[in-house]
Amino acid sequence: MADKSSELVQGTLDMLILKTLALEPMHGYGIAVRLEQMSKGVFRLNAGSLFVAIQRLQRDGLIKGEWKPTENNRRAKYYALTDQGRKRLSSETKEWGRQVAAITRILEAS
Amino acid sequence: MSILQNIASGLRALFGKKRRDKELDEELHGFLELAVEEKMQHGMNRPDALRAVRLEQGTLALAKEAVRSASWESFLETCWQDVRLAARTLRKNPGLAAAVVFTLALGIGANTSIFTLMDRVMLKPLPVAKPAQLYRLGDNNNCCVMTGPQNGGSFVLYSYPLYEALRDHTPEFSQLVAFSSHLQDLSVRRGGDSAAARPYKGEFVSGNYFEMLGIAASAGRTLAAKDDTAGAAPVAVMSDHTWQTHFGGDPSVIGAAFTINTVPYIVVGVTPPQFYGDTLRSDPPDFWLPLSAHPERWLFGPEPEWLYLIGRLRADVSPAQVQAKLTGELQQWLWATGYPEATPEQRNDKALVEKYRQEINRQHIRLTPAAGGVNQIQTEYTAGLRLLVTLSGLLLLIACANIANLLLAHGSANRLQTAVRLALGAPRRRVIQQMLTESVLLALAGGAAGLYVAYTGTQAILLLAFRGARYIPIDARPSLPVLGFALALSLATAIVFGIAPAWVASRSDPADTLRGAGRSTSDPSSVLQKSLVIVQVAFSIALLIGAGLLTQSLRHLEDQHFGFLTDGRLIVNVAPGLDGYTPDKLDGLYQRLEETLTRIPDVISASLSWYSPLDGNNANERVYIQGKPPDYRWSAPSWDRVGPHYFQTIGTRLLRGRAIDERDVPGAPNVAVINETFASRFFPNEDPIGQRFGMGDESHSGDYEIVGIVEDAKYQDTRGPAYATSFLPLLQTPPGEPVRGWVGAIELHVAGKPENLEPAVRKAIAGVDPNLTVLNIMSFGEQVARHFNQERLIARLTELFGALALVLACVGLYGVTAYAVARRTNEIGIRMALGADRSNVLGLVLRGTLSQIGLGLAIGIPAALAGGRVLASQLYGVNSYDPVILGLAAALLAACAILAASLPARSAARVDPVVALRFE
Repeated sequence: MADKSSELVQGTLDMLILKTLALEPMHGYGIAVRLEQMSKGVFRLNAGSLFVAIQRLQRDGLIKGEWKPTENNRRAKYYALTDQGRKRLSSETKEWGRQVAAITRILEAS
Repeated sequence: MSILQNIASGLRALFGKKRRDKELDEELHGFLELAVEEKMQHGMNRPDALRAVRLEQGTLALAKEAVRSASWESFLETCWQDVRLAARTLRKNPGLAAAVVFTLALGIGANTSIFTLMDRVMLKPLPVAKPAQLYRLGDNNNCCVMTGPQNGGSFVLYSYPLYEALRDHTPEFSQLVAFSSHLQDLSVRRGGDSAAARPYKGEFVSGNYFEMLGIAASAGRTLAAKDDTAGAAPVAVMSDHTWQTHFGGDPSVIGAAFTINTVPYIVVGVTPPQFYGDTLRSDPPDFWLPLSAHPERWLFGPEPEWLYLIGRLRADVSPAQVQAKLTGELQQWLWATGYPEATPEQRNDKALVEKYRQEINRQHIRLTPAAGGVNQIQTEYTAGLRLLVTLSGLLLLIACANIANLLLAHGSANRLQTAVRLALGAPRRRVIQQMLTESVLLALAGGAAGLYVAYTGTQAILLLAFRGARYIPIDARPSLPVLGFALALSLATAIVFGIAPAWVASRSDPADTLRGAGRSTSDPSSVLQKSLVIVQVAFSIALLIGAGLLTQSLRHLEDQHFGFLTDGRLIVNVAPGLDGYTPDKLDGLYQRLEETLTRIPDVISASLSWYSPLDGNNANERVYIQGKPPDYRWSAPSWDRVGPHYFQTIGTRLLRGRAIDERDVPGAPNVAVINETFASRFFPNEDPIGQRFGMGDESHSGDYEIVGIVEDAKYQDTRGPAYATSFLPLLQTPPGEPVRGWVGAIELHVAGKPENLEPAVRKAIAGVDPNLTVLNIMSFGEQVARHFNQERLIARLTELFGALALVLACVGLYGVTAYAVARRTNEIGIRMALGADRSNVLGLVLRGTLSQIGLGLAIGIPAALAGGRVLASQLYGVNSYDPVILGLAAALLAACAILAASLPARSAARVDPVVALRFE
């Protein structure tokens, strides 16, 4: 039941999901796998946390879901960014960069 | 924007719950399936892959629960689930639900009624404009006509000229009004109406009365200053209640001619529905009449003090300064007008003048806030209401203890279930939330029932408190803040004691509970339960003792020997003066009344008097005994005027000499009958018969010759000894004085129930004179009973509270014992298997109960004794530590409690050891 996502900085899971979806629409499992791959296995999400976040993003109108057939002919709900989601991603990325730079400066100051 | 979207999607989810659930299911299923497939691609077989995924991801159900509970609408959903579950649980435990709702309803209902009355009677201001600006000149309720300096020096009754002087010289009042200190009986007939006149109550008020109070007529107009001037056409204002109930709200009443006490009046308007005058009382005025229309012109002289004053103080002045100024004005006035009978020699007597000056300097006016008007009921009922508030508070505490107890037992019984739910993965929060829902549901049901109890309770209390009243201008609807408070308190109790066991259960390791279910012997919540029962027993015994004392006191009051007999006696009140009789016509009227009334079948005897015992009236005047110096040690004795057969009619025994009879007419020698106290006080060592006395001053000491002595009878105060009293013939007056024996009461001694004779008596009186208004007719017993309204109210309510406390304590004991038995079934089984017999088991269970009862009594009885000292001033003929009542109350409580506990104890003794050992 290890839930590595709990080690994520608070509030960054939403941003990472948005980033994952920026490339192409994806179903829930795809998002989890992609996050794990991109983080080289650091972030491993369980279904509960993932779908809570998805539900939240959907409620906020940042992503929208659509049932589609998968490669091996199953049905899955694919999520895609909305315009609002795209805007949010870019603003959050900028903000993240700013904060990280600031934190780095503080940590490196002697 | 996003909030709206959020709400919309939440609502969609809530209503499309099935579809959403299916989608989430499919999505999560797909997720897990994909994970399994991936693991299989890496070479695992399917069962291993499935296991691995489960380990990594948790079960499908957990994930689903996580997603569902993350959204706000899920809260509503679980609430609804909880409510349904709670309703189901309670349906399965109807005993518990009924006990809690019943307890709450009583606790909330009793307190809401009492506090509503408290609020309405003690706190609610008059329904007039800006009541906080009103101040009354005076601080007591002395009534009705006085002269000279007033007792204790605190002025409260004012003469008309003094009112005018204060009104005109105190600009600090924007308005100062005067009104008669007591209501007048009115005999009223609508113009052109041929039916007999009907009795009403009226108040004479100054012309600026309504303007000062800011009361506008709801129809027509109120009184104006011009109506209260000499020679103004007589007008009257009717109360809304009278208009609606006696005249059906007929608009033609306004402007119509009425004959009031034989004088023609025009009714010019009706007051608003909520207005009841300046004093909260039962049967408030039906009519308001201008002072100038008062028939007794002598009242307007400088001597008679008969008016109460209330003024509206300007916002920019301080009451303390105005009070000082008023006192100065009063003393000046007394100095200028007082002692008119003083002779020139007296005025030159320095010592005497100094005495006058000192007496006048003691006279003062206390300005008291009058937002609530003249505090009459307030003063009368303060002690009683305080007691009731305390008692109902006690009852509420007992009720809360009971609820706590029942819920604790219920919660502990559910411990196993709670443990199972926790073991299956239910979050602690949800377990507690569910218990909470159950408690809140119970509290709300109890609150609703309490509302009903409160409403009927308030009405019942009002009827008890104002027995015989035709109209009580007090709203019985529970006041909202009070109800809110009681409801909040019970909710808090239910919540605290409802979740406490859930909290305890949810903190413990479910495995322990599951393993040890039904086997543990120690239980922390049972200590709490037992203490609660002890507290209940203690409070209950205190209430029971209080109820016993007050009931016994009321019985002694009502059953005492009053010095007259009430059985088979009927009292009729009339006032011939109101119906146009002049003194010269009275002799004939009285003779005809006696003759006619005695002829009614079943009437044994009939008599007339000025007033009858305990009808509220009393007259006293200093007496001067012939041949003896004036004796100022005693307060002035009472006196009454009575006709022939009076004493035999009311059942007062003649001890010596003769009663007043047909011989004692005007012109015959003036005689008097005295009572025992009068005889022993003024003639301690001699025979009073043949002695003479009189009233007024020493020159009158030969006016009346004493011809008889009757036993003492209580006419005014029922708790103290009878007043020294003399009885004079109806129409005899001192030589040279005009006849003035007005009759107020007719007494009838009848066979059978006195009430049954009412129609015949009314018919007979109408036969004598259709214009003679019957003001009141009731049995003597009822007249006496109304004297004890407050005592009866308090005794009955205390009895009720005591009985409720007893029931609640028994329910509590039953619950605790039953719970203990249920928990110890296993232990009992073992004991029985090892050879314990039924009486051992019975003893085992009852021992605990007895110790709780014993402890409760040990705490409660001393508390009741301490509290009884407060009660002592209200008790009559019974000590606050009466051992019989203490013993009876304790025995009653112990018997009921043991009975309540023995039911579960007996069922414990019937336990089959084999079944018990298997019992989990």
